[in-house]
Amino acid sequence: MMSPAPDTWRVPPPWVLLVAVVLIAVAEVSGASMVKFKLELTRWARGVMLARPAVHGLVGVRDVDEQIIDEALVKLDGGLRLFHLHAEGMGTVIVVATMVATTLVRSTGLQRTVVLLLTVGGGAYPVGYLVWSAAIPYVGIERGKSIAEWLVWIPFGSAAIVAMWLLTGALALKLVQRQ
Amino acid sequence: MRVAGLALGLLLLAASPAAGHHVGVWTARDNEVSTNFKQIKFALQAGKFDVARQLYESGALRRDLQAQATRLPAGLDASIRKALAAGDARAAERGLMVFFVALTRDLAGQADRQLADPSASPDIRLASSRKFLEAIWRYYSLVDFAVTQYDPKAATAVRLAFDEAEGYAKGAAASDLDRLRGPFQQMVRVLTGVIETSPTSARRDS
Repeated sequence: MMSPAPDTWRVPPPWVLLVAVVLIAVAEVSGASMVKFKLELTRWARGVMLARPAVHGLVGVRDVDEQIIDEALVKLDGGLRLFHLHAEGMGTVIVVATMVATTLVRSTGLQRTVVLLLTVGGGAYPVGYLVWSAAIPYVGIERGKSIAEWLVWIPFGSAAIVAMWLLTGALALKLVQRQ
Repeated sequence: MRVAGLALGLLLLAASPAAGHHVGVWTARDNEVSTNFKQIKFALQAGKFDVARQLYESGALRRDLQAQATRLPAGLDASIRKALAAGDARAAERGLMVFFVALTRDLAGQADRQLADPSASPDIRLASSRKFLEAIWRYYSLVDFAVTQYDPKAATAVRLAFDEAEGYAKGAAASDLDRLRGPFQQMVRVLTGVIETSPTSARRDS
């Protein structure tokens, strides 16, 4: 016999909420900074790229180089935008999903696993976009992407996906058992 | 323990979807020269010669044309201005065509020289040649229709050479670099012929 679902939502552990709120706050600051320092960022990235022509395949021909630099700058800006979006989104996802786990998942082990994976995975995943953006001027678009993938996106993204599926499975099981 | 094992299993399964993430899309943009060319062309097509002349006189295209005057047929700038003043769209477009054909030819020549440069590694030379091809097509595609009308054989030869170069550049191994030079050299030959037989060049020679 299962106990009925609680009437009130339970609050996740404070450290989880802190991670989520900090993530959202950083997202807001990054969004504002992106606009305010766009020119400085572009100048810096262009300077770093021009100092490493071999890394970016710059050949000293205006019509070729300007497109290579433009693509890198667009991707760098895209990485910052995606960080802003993902950090805002994942902050909210962490709050909501850990609240659901804390309230509705009865097994303590499963609940802790879901909360831990969601918070660590969801909290770190957006940072991959910052890593990518910062790496582009130094190592190029593709190499920078590989670094971000293996350092951040794959491990932490996987953790967040696993947490969501564990939570989905736990809720589905609860529903089946209730019926 | 069972939960941890399940999580580990799912973690391994999730690694594949986690590798797919948004990284944005980049599409090549017009530079100020190609933008100015399009503005002039649209004005010509609309029959607004005053606007076209103003766009040409004060635009990036003419600045670039004047900066590269030594590599262009003599009197090209004057012939374009004369055609715009006379309201002769065909002549104006032909003059602009010669300018972009010259830009394309110079890029093809530089691509060939860069491929032959032993100081860079074969991989870098190959990667650069792809970027050169993109740049060549960005300019040549602007005037491909005009070249086709003016000299259909030359237009076909350029397109074939471009396709051949693209095919080599896509699947090429570093050992194919010499083969890749052929289409670039062909582009230079054909485009030089287009420039030399253009009415502007004929006027210079007369």
